[in-house]
Amino acid sequence: MNFKHKYFFLFPGLFVLIGILIFPIIFVVRLSLSGWNSYNPGLDYIGLENYIRLFTDDPRFWESFFRLSFLSVTTVILQYVIGFALAHMVWKDIKFKRFFRVLFLVPMMTTPVIMTVIWRTFFHESLGPVNDMLSIFGVAPKWLTDPVIAKFTVIIVEVWQWTPFMFLLLLAGLLSLPKEPFLAAAIDGASPVRKFIYVTFPLMAPISIGAIIIRLIEASKIMDTVYVLTSGGPGTSTETSSFYIFIKGLREFQMGYAASMSFTYLIIMIISLTIIAKVLTKLLLKE
Amino acid sequence: MDLVANNLSYKPDNQYHLNEVSFNFKEGNLYTILGRTLSGKTTLLKTIAGLLTPDSGEIEFDGKNFLKVPVWERNVAMVYQQFINYPHLNVFENIAFPLKQRKIDQSVINDKVMDALKSVGLVGFENRKIQELSGGQQQRVSLARSLVKNAKILLLDEPLVNLDYKLREQLREEFKNLFSKGLADETILIYSTTDPRETMELNGEVIVLDEGKVLQVGPAKEIFENPNSLKVAEISNDPPMNIIEAKISDNHIKFEGIDVEAPQHLSKLTEDGLKIGLRSSDIELNENGHEFEVELAEISGSETLLHLKRGNTKIIVSIEEVLNFKIHDKIKINFKIDKAYAFHADGKLASSPFGGLNG
Repeated sequence: MNFKHKYFFLFPGLFVLIGILIFPIIFVVRLSLSGWNSYNPGLDYIGLENYIRLFTDDPRFWESFFRLSFLSVTTVILQYVIGFALAHMVWKDIKFKRFFRVLFLVPMMTTPVIMTVIWRTFFHESLGPVNDMLSIFGVAPKWLTDPVIAKFTVIIVEVWQWTPFMFLLLLAGLLSLPKEPFLAAAIDGASPVRKFIYVTFPLMAPISIGAIIIRLIEASKIMDTVYVLTSGGPGTSTETSSFYIFIKGLREFQMGYAASMSFTYLIIMIISLTIIAKVLTKLLLKE
Repeated sequence: MDLVANNLSYKPDNQYHLNEVSFNFKEGNLYTILGRTLSGKTTLLKTIAGLLTPDSGEIEFDGKNFLKVPVWERNVAMVYQQFINYPHLNVFENIAFPLKQRKIDQSVINDKVMDALKSVGLVGFENRKIQELSGGQQQRVSLARSLVKNAKILLLDEPLVNLDYKLREQLREEFKNLFSKGLADETILIYSTTDPRETMELNGEVIVLDEGKVLQVGPAKEIFENPNSLKVAEISNDPPMNIIEAKISDNHIKFEGIDVEAPQHLSKLTEDGLKIGLRSSDIELNENGHEFEVELAEISGSETLLHLKRGNTKIIVSIEEVLNFKIHDKIKINFKIDKAYAFHADGKLASSPFGGLNG
């Protein structure tokens, strides 16, 4: 089809695409090849120096990356399991079904940063209500200042905040399943547990994969929770990639170096998410 | 091992789906539940399967209270009118599903599934996806799935209704073969249908159900020859039996100015409000017969159904050949009056040509 004015109609969309996606990516690549910092701002050209530094001389970036992998995979698995359990619970006819459906969505409706501030208060070692209650048993975990426990505090807050999203996707999935296979399964001698394993779960596989991938993309951007809760501390024990890039770029103003980290991070994410999606599809759909 | 039900009632939203249904099904027999749509057939089968709990009444199987046994332990199999299978499994896995729910050797499962595939004519389709099959094939898969587990009770809920004409004929034939091979002597086979012809062909014990109530129980032949009421006569005939309001006096049946001699089995009935029932196939075209006006003529398969009218009396005549009539044509017909039934004003059978009651 040849249409004279097609570029005229394409222009608005194309303009937005170029403005907010293509230009920034190209600019970041160019920026990563420069030594732009606070003393020496400007797009000079220093070749691959930033990348050489990143791959040979910056263990902190890689540590933060593996920490991020651990945090995002753990939170997404927990969100999936809890979200599925909750969705399955209110999928059946139970009392106050509607009430629970709304209740489980409440965390998602709150503002993440403000909720994190509240969580920080909760987990405060000496003033927080959590330790106040735990003092009955004579324990007082250092929720925010122990390098190991702090990671789990981040996980708890993330799971609390984003399980509702998983719940919503999975409940929508469950409600859209055909009813007939469940009738057949009961008659074919499948107990409720087996019915879940052999019918519900496999039927939910496509939706599960979608939900997990969406949440993985979201979770690998963990930033606000860490920023408010621990600021990456104690030390660097809860520092994630995006937080480290933020520190390098917008605190220390090493723009060129931060750009090279961003771009590397983007490539790794694209590759690993593609692999994860493939593996999940193979595992759950047997295709 | 009998399946006995006593006064089963199921009444959601204050409307009877089952109304005091009782039966006694014996192993090794075929039972056909005949009734129109919404008569409670599916509800009854679901109650036996355990998918529904009746409001009152009891079911006993093998002397045990069946209602206390959960669905998955009841050892029943069911084929639905919608072809229900597992969309995420292939044909083989679908049929193997009931076996996998018990601890059975994989090699035994393979053998049984292959047997079942053979008996429904789907060998070679093992690895196909369900969605790639036609409706008839999907229904065969669910039939195979119900056969493979050797259930003590096999429920077939209008299994042919959603299939096209040709497939229906073919599968019905296969059903008859399967059933006559005597699935297993200890199986109770329950088949529900709206189609009287299917009922007669299957030739089992028939339960006529209407609005959740059992109207008549008996062998197919008995239901056909001696329907105990107008309702049963309507349900068990397709097209429904013609009902004519007539008077019998002096050995003559009189209606709409027609006067025919009453056959012996009707001659003694003289009460008021009597209704004469005559099957559409027991009326024939005859040059010397009585004049009726054609209201509608439909050709169905190799027969012609004529909707006729005379005064206030409307009847349907089926003729075993394809004939063309126009609306408002006048034609002449004769009644095979010795095949006529008589019903009392309250709908109960008064006399049948096969010797029911007064005959």
